[in-house]
Amino acid sequence: MFKYTIKRVLTFIPMLIAISLLSFVISINAPGDPVERLSKAAGNEGSAEQQSGASKKIKQELRKKLGLDLPIFYLSISDIATSDTLYKIQDKYHKANLEHLTHMSGNWGLVSDYYNELLKIQDIHRTLKPKEVFKYNNNITLNEINEVTNQVGFDIGSLLETSDQELVDLKLNTIGNSLENYTFLSPLNDSYQKIKKLNLDILNSSMKWKTYIPSINWYGANNQYHLWLFGNGKDRQGLVRGDFGISYIDSQPISTKIWQKIGISFSLSLISIFLAYLISIPIGIYSAYKKDSATDKGLSLILFILYSMPSFFVGTLLLLQFANPDNLSWFPVSGIQDPTLFDPEWGFWTKIKHRMPYLILPIITYTYGSFAFLSRIMRVGMIDIVSQDYIRTARAKGLGEGKVILKHALRNSLLPVITVFAAIFPMAIGGSIIIEVIFSIPGMGVEIYNSILNYDYPMIITVFTLSGFLTMIGYLVADLLYAVVDPRISYK
Amino acid sequence: MTQEQNNENFSFKKYAWNQFKKNKIALVCLYLLFTLVIVALFAPYIANERPLYAQYKGYTLYPAFASDNQTDSIFGTSGTLEDVLQYDITDWRSLDLDKVIWPLIPYSPGGMDRYNRDYVSPNGKQRFKNAEGLITDVPKKFRHHLGTDGIGRDLASGLIHGTRISLMVGLVSMGIASLIGIFLGALAGFFGDNKLKMTRIRYYFTLIGIFFGFFYGFGQRKYAISEGFSNGINSGMIELIISFTLIFVVVYLFRFISKFITLKSLNKEMYIPIDTFVSRGIELLNSIPRLLLIITITAVVERSIWIVMIIIGITGWTGIARFTRAEFLRIRSLEFVQAAQSLGFSNLRTIFKHALPNALAPVFVSIAFGIASAILIESGLSFLGIGVPDDIVTWGSLLNLGRQNLEAWWLIIYPGIAIFLTITIYNMIAEASRDALDPRLKS
Repeated sequence: MFKYTIKRVLTFIPMLIAISLLSFVISINAPGDPVERLSKAAGNEGSAEQQSGASKKIKQELRKKLGLDLPIFYLSISDIATSDTLYKIQDKYHKANLEHLTHMSGNWGLVSDYYNELLKIQDIHRTLKPKEVFKYNNNITLNEINEVTNQVGFDIGSLLETSDQELVDLKLNTIGNSLENYTFLSPLNDSYQKIKKLNLDILNSSMKWKTYIPSINWYGANNQYHLWLFGNGKDRQGLVRGDFGISYIDSQPISTKIWQKIGISFSLSLISIFLAYLISIPIGIYSAYKKDSATDKGLSLILFILYSMPSFFVGTLLLLQFANPDNLSWFPVSGIQDPTLFDPEWGFWTKIKHRMPYLILPIITYTYGSFAFLSRIMRVGMIDIVSQDYIRTARAKGLGEGKVILKHALRNSLLPVITVFAAIFPMAIGGSIIIEVIFSIPGMGVEIYNSILNYDYPMIITVFTLSGFLTMIGYLVADLLYAVVDPRISYK
Repeated sequence: MTQEQNNENFSFKKYAWNQFKKNKIALVCLYLLFTLVIVALFAPYIANERPLYAQYKGYTLYPAFASDNQTDSIFGTSGTLEDVLQYDITDWRSLDLDKVIWPLIPYSPGGMDRYNRDYVSPNGKQRFKNAEGLITDVPKKFRHHLGTDGIGRDLASGLIHGTRISLMVGLVSMGIASLIGIFLGALAGFFGDNKLKMTRIRYYFTLIGIFFGFFYGFGQRKYAISEGFSNGINSGMIELIISFTLIFVVVYLFRFISKFITLKSLNKEMYIPIDTFVSRGIELLNSIPRLLLIITITAVVERSIWIVMIIIGITGWTGIARFTRAEFLRIRSLEFVQAAQSLGFSNLRTIFKHALPNALAPVFVSIAFGIASAILIESGLSFLGIGVPDDIVTWGSLLNLGRQNLEAWWLIIYPGIAIFLTITIYNMIAEASRDALDPRLKS
C-alpha cells in the first residue's frame, strides 16, 4: 500500500508539469500588460513630468520584479530570421510589431535599424519644447505648435506599434507633410528620411527565405517559467514554495487572499457533501429493498428529473420563493451574516446561530447539486449488487432482508460513491462559482468570479493550478479509500 | 426476439429502434427534440419585429425574409418619394400598413420596446403606440405574452432565438469533441501499445515531420490565421484548414523521404505506445476541473459564442475517447476485423470502414449525454456573464437578468424551464438509447 502510494505520487510529477505548463501558457497569452495594470493600481502623484519619470521607473522595477525582462521559456522555436534577443524589448506591442516585421521581411538587421531609428526620432521629438519654439517663431500660434508636435508624437508612437503597410504609409506621409510645412520640426528630418528608406528596404527585402528555416534557441534556467515555478531565491519564492504572485487588483499576495476566503467555501462543500450522502444512501437502500415497486420507479423518475435541473436554476428559484418580499421573506437574500449585528468576539456557536438563516438556502442548493447525482449512482449500484450471487447466498442461509442489505450489500455499493468524494478537494479551492455568485457568499467562487471580471490573471491561474493538483490528490485518496472499503482491492 | 432474429431482414438498427420505441417517455422526448430543432431553424420567422408579409402604399413586401441592410424606396402614386424603408431600423408597427401578416411573436430578441420597459409582467398592464401615434392599451397581437426585461426586450422572442444558440452549442461543441474523441479513442483502442509497428527511421522522421508541420502550419502562418479570423469566421476557418492540410502534407512528405533511407541500425522495427499517450492525455484532462478550465480559457480569449463552443468541444472529448477505446479493444479481436486485416486492407480502412461502424453505439450515447452537459455549461457561463458577449440573448443570460431582479419572476421561470427541459430531453434520449443499444448496460 505504501509502495503504491509512493508510485502514484511519482506519477503526479509529469501531470503537475503538464498542468503548470498549461496554466503558464494561458497566463502569458492573457491580454493586456501586467505592468500597466500594476502601476495603475499603485497610483502616482506629482506633476505630469515627474509622474512620467517616476512611473517609468516604477514600471521598470515592476517589470524586473515580475521577471518580464527574461525570456519566456527554457527554449524558443522561431525562424532564423527572428532575433533570439527579442524578449529584451520591454513593450509588448513593440515586440509583437517587430516580430511581425521580421516575419514579413526576413531581415532582422533592417528591422532593428528601423526600430532604433524610430526610437531615436521619438527621443528627438521629446526634446522639442513648444514654448521655446514659440519664442523664435512668431508666425504661428502656440496652439498650432502644440497640436502639430502632439500629432507627430502620436504618429511616431503608432509607427512603433503597427506593421500594417497601409497604416505605415499613411503615418509616414502625415509626418512628412508636417515636416514640410513646419520648419521647427527640422531636427526630425534626418531621422525621418532614414526611416522612410529603411521602410522601403524592409518592403523590398529578399531575405524572406530565412523565415522558412526553423531555429531553436536555448536560454537556460534564467527564464520566466522557471522564475514562476521555482523563484529566484530572493524576492520571488516560486509556485513550489507557495508564492503565487500578487493580485493585479490590489497588489496583495494571492496566497493571503486565498487563505482569507477558502474557509467558507471549504466548510460549505464539506457540509453539503455530508448532507448529500446522508440523503442518498438511504435512497439507495430503499430502492434495493423495494426494487421495481411503484415507489421505486417513481423515485427513479424524480431523481432523473432532479438530476437534469441545473443548480443555478434551483438556487434562483429558492431565492425567488423564500427570500423575496413578494412571496415568502424567510431568509436574507445574500451574504453570510448580518453586517449590523456582527461581533468578532463571538464564539463558534453564536456565530453559527447568527449565520444559520444566511446559510440555509446556499447549503440546500449546494447539496442539491451532488445529491441528485449521488442518489442515482447509489440506487444503480445498490440494485446491481442486490442481484449478485453472494446476496442470494446470504438470503438462502436465512438472513433477514434488513441484515442482507445493510451488512452485505451496502458496503459494496459504496465504491462508486467514493469517486464523488474525490471531487471535494478541488471544490474547496474553486468553490462553486455559480452558487456563491447567486447568494453572494464571500468565498473562493466569488473571488474567482471577480478576478475574471477584473482580468486578474494571477488569481485565475493560481486557482486553476491548485485545483488541478487537488483533483489528483482527490483521486489518490479515493483510490486508497477503495482499498479500505473493499478488502479485495489491494495495491501491491 | 428470436423471431426477429430469425427474420432475414433483421438489422441491429431496426432492433434498437424497436427497443427505443418501447420507452414512451423517451419517444415523447424525441418528438420534443424535433420541435426544438424546428423552432431553432425557423426562429427568425416565428419571432421577428418585421412582418412576414406586408402591403404598404401599393407595394408588396416580405420584410422578415429580407436581409438586414435592405432598403426600399416607396413612391407615391404621383411618383414622388414618400418614404424610405431601411429594414433594420424601420418601426413596422407604427407604419400604416394596408395588409399585414405578423410572425407569431412580433418582436425581435434584441428589439427594445420603449413603451414596455422596466420588467413588464406577462399579465400586467402593457402599453402600445398605435399607427396614429397614440399610446393605448396593448392589442392582443402585440402583447408580450411572457413579459419583458429591463430595457423592454421581449422574453418570448429571446427564448425562441435562444433555442438556436442552445442547440448550436450542443451540435458544434459535441461535433468537435466527437471528432477528436473518436479519432484518438479508435487509434488507442485499435493499436493498443504493441500493435502499431514502425521502423525507427520512420518514427523519427514522423516526429520531425510533426515539428516542421506545426512550424509551417501554425508558426509561420499565425499572422495569416489571425488576419483571417479578424475578417470573419469563414475566412478564418479556411486559413485554419489550409494550415491543417499543410501539416498533413509536411508529415507525409517526411514519412515518404524516410522510405529511401536504408540504414541497417535504423531500420529495426519498434512499437509506438499510442494507447499510453492517449490514456495519459485523457487522465491529464480529467484531472483539471472542466468548468474551471473553460472559465480560465474564456477569461483570456476574446468573448464570442463560437469560441465558447470550441472550448467546450476541445475539453469534452475524454468521455467519448474512453468509450471508443473500450469498444475498439473489444472489436479488434473479433473475426470480421481479423478478416479485413488478413485480406490486406490498410489499417485506416479497417479502422474507419469496418471497425468504427460497429463501435459507434456506446459512443452515440456518450455524445448525447455530452450535448446535455455542453448546454448546461454554456447556460452556466452565460448565467455568470462570462465568455458569451452581452448582446447575444441566451437562456442563461435571461435567467441572469431574473436573478438580478427577483420581482421579474417570468425571467427566472421561463428561461429556467427552457434550459431544464432541453437538458432533460437530451438526458432522457441518451438513457433510452443506451438501454436500447446495449441491454447489458440497462440500469
